[in-house]
Amino acid sequence: MKILVVEDELKIADYLYKGLTEQGCSVDLAHNGLDARHLALEIDYDVIVLDQMLPGLDGLAVLQSLRAVKDTPVIMLTARDRIEDRVKGLRAGADDYLIKPFSFMELLARLQALTRRVRKHEATQIRVGDLVVDLLARKAFRDGSRIDLTAKEFALLTVLARHQGQILSKTAIAEMVWEVNYDTNANVVEVAIKRLRAKIDAPFHSGLLHTVRGMGYVLEERPAR
Amino acid sequence: MFAMAALLVLSLLGYALDKELATVLRRQQIEQLDTKFRDIDYVIERLRGPEQWERIHAKLDALTPPDRSTQYWILSDDPQIRYGNALAEIVSFSQGARNVGELRIGDRPEPMLIRSAYFPASARHAALRFIVGIDSESYARTRRDFRSVLFASGTGGVLLFALIGYLITHWGLVPLKRLSREAHELSPSMLSQRLVVARLPAELSDLAQSFNGALDRLEAAYAQLETFNADVTHELRTPLTNLIGQTQVALSRERSATELVEVLQSNLEDLERLRAMINDMLFLARASLGERPQQLLRTSLAAEVEKAVEFLDFLTEEASVSVRVQGDAQAPIEISLFQRAVTNLLHNAIRHSPAGSEILVEVSAEERQARVSVSNPGPAIPPEHLGRLFDRFYRVDMARTNSGESHGLGLAIVKAVAAMHAGSVFAASRGGITTVGFSVAIGA
Repeated sequence: MKILVVEDELKIADYLYKGLTEQGCSVDLAHNGLDARHLALEIDYDVIVLDQMLPGLDGLAVLQSLRAVKDTPVIMLTARDRIEDRVKGLRAGADDYLIKPFSFMELLARLQALTRRVRKHEATQIRVGDLVVDLLARKAFRDGSRIDLTAKEFALLTVLARHQGQILSKTAIAEMVWEVNYDTNANVVEVAIKRLRAKIDAPFHSGLLHTVRGMGYVLEERPAR
Repeated sequence: MFAMAALLVLSLLGYALDKELATVLRRQQIEQLDTKFRDIDYVIERLRGPEQWERIHAKLDALTPPDRSTQYWILSDDPQIRYGNALAEIVSFSQGARNVGELRIGDRPEPMLIRSAYFPASARHAALRFIVGIDSESYARTRRDFRSVLFASGTGGVLLFALIGYLITHWGLVPLKRLSREAHELSPSMLSQRLVVARLPAELSDLAQSFNGALDRLEAAYAQLETFNADVTHELRTPLTNLIGQTQVALSRERSATELVEVLQSNLEDLERLRAMINDMLFLARASLGERPQQLLRTSLAAEVEKAVEFLDFLTEEASVSVRVQGDAQAPIEISLFQRAVTNLLHNAIRHSPAGSEILVEVSAEERQARVSVSNPGPAIPPEHLGRLFDRFYRVDMARTNSGESHGLGLAIVKAVAAMHAGSVFAASRGGITTVGFSVAIGA
C-alpha cells in the first residue's frame, strides 16, 4: 500500500512512518502543505493521511486542490475536536477523519477500511490454522469438531477471522460487532474475548486468539514455543 | 444637553407665540382701521350738501389725535372737499388698485396702515377718494416689548433648565457612579463581593440585583471550574506518575526485550486511559458550551435501550444479573449519544448490583419529556451524595479513586447528554433500590 503522510509534528510523522512501513506500506512524508500538494498531485497514492493544521497551506486547501484533480482517499487528522471542523473536512472531500489524540491501531484500521472498500468476492469459509469459520452456515469448527457459539460470539469470531493476523483494537471490535461508535468504559470486549477464548482455545492444545496488551486482539496461528 | 433641548423647545415656542401675536395684532389693527373708516364713510354717504364739508373737516380735525397716529385724507378735484395734506405717497397709493395697504409716511418710524375708498361723483359732491391711515407704531411697540420679554424669559429658562439638568444628572447619577466604582473593584480574587443594593433608587436596584444574580451564577461556575481543574490535575497526575516512574525504572538498568515490552505495554494502558479521559473531558466541555446534537432522529427509546442492553449482554451474564426493559416513548435523539448515556447508566447499575438481582429500565413519556430510569437493588446512597452523583469525577466511595474501571465521568456524561437534548437528570435511593436516570425533550 502506498501512503502519503502529511504531518508537521515531527514526532508524530516519524512514528507514523515507522509504524506504517513496518506494516508493509510504502510511506512518503510531507511536513508542510506545499510539499504535500506537490506530492499528492504528482504521485498516485492509495491513501493520504492529512493533518488539518499545516504551515504554508493548510490541510483543507491541500484537500481542495487534490479533489479538483483526483479521488485519492484521504483521512484527515485534526486536533480541533469541533464538529464544524469535521463537517468542513468531510464537505471538502475527506473520506474519514481522526481526532488527536488518536491511537495508531485506530488509524491502521481506518486505513485498511478505506483501501479495501471494494471488497473482493468474499470466501464463504475462513480458515485460521485448524479453525474453520463457515460464514454461510454460521458455524465454527475446530479440529473437525463443532464449536457451539452464541450469535454475538460468532459475530466476534467472524470479525477476528476476517482480519486474521491483524491486531484489532477494542474500539474497532466494538464498532464492528456491536456497531457501537461511542466511547465507553464498559469492558464488554474483554469479557467477550474471554468467553470466546474459553470456547475456541481452552479445549484445544494451542491458542489462536491472542491478546496484545494495550493494543487489542489478534486471531492467528502462532508456532508453538 | 438639557440647555440644548430647552433652547430648542423655547425657540420653537417663542417663534410660534410671536407669529400668533403678530396675526392677532394685525387683525386688531385692521378692525380699528375699519371702525374709523366706517364712521366717516357713513357720514359721506349721508352727505346732504356741500356746506356740510366744513363740519366733516372739523370732525376729522377732532378725530385726528395730537400725535397724528390716526390721519385722514380726502382727495378730490374740488378744493372745497379736499382735506389733509396730500403727500405724494398718499396720492400715488390712491392711484393703485389696492384699497388696503401699508405705507411709510414722512419720517414716521413705522409704516401706516391705510384704507382708501373711492366715491364717484354724485349730485351732492364731486368724485372723491377718502383715506384713513392708522399708525402701527403702538402695535410694533407691543411686539417689540413682547419679543424682548420673550427673549429674556427664554434665556432665563434655558439657563434654569441647564442648571436643573446639571443638578438632576449630578445628584441622580451619584448612585450610578457608586455602582460603577463598586463594579470596577470586582475582581476574580474576591468572588463573593456584590454590589450594595440598599440605598439605591428603584430603577437602579433592579439592575444591581440582576447584576448580582449574574455574579452569583459566575461565582458558582467559577467554583465548579476550580474544583474541576483540581480534579483534572489529580486524575491526570496518577497515570502520569505511573508513566514517568515506570519508564525511569525500566531505563535505569539493562533490561531484556521482554521486560521492556512489558513496560511499554503497561505504559500504553495508562496512555489509553489518559486519552479516554481527555476525550470525555473534551466532550463535556463542548456540551457545557452549549453544543447541540447534530442529527436528531425521532425514534423509539425502548428500542435504543435494548441495543445498549444487548451490547452489555456479556457483562450482565458475567455479573449474573438480568435486565428488564419496560415501557416506551418516542423522542428525537442523537442515537449514539443516547446509547452512550444508557450504556453508562446500565454499566453503573451492573457494577453495583448484587448477583442474581434484576435491573429495571423504565421508559416513560410525560407531557414534555421522555424519561429513562435505571433501577437496581443496591446499598442506600446518602442524600448528600445523590445530588452530586452527576458531578465530574464524583464518587460516592472516594477511596476507590483508581479502580481502573472508571474514571468518574460516566454520569457526568449522562448529564451532558441529557442537557444536549434539553432534558435533565435525577437520582433516588429508596428502600434498597437505587434509581438513576435522565430525560430528553419530546419536542416537535
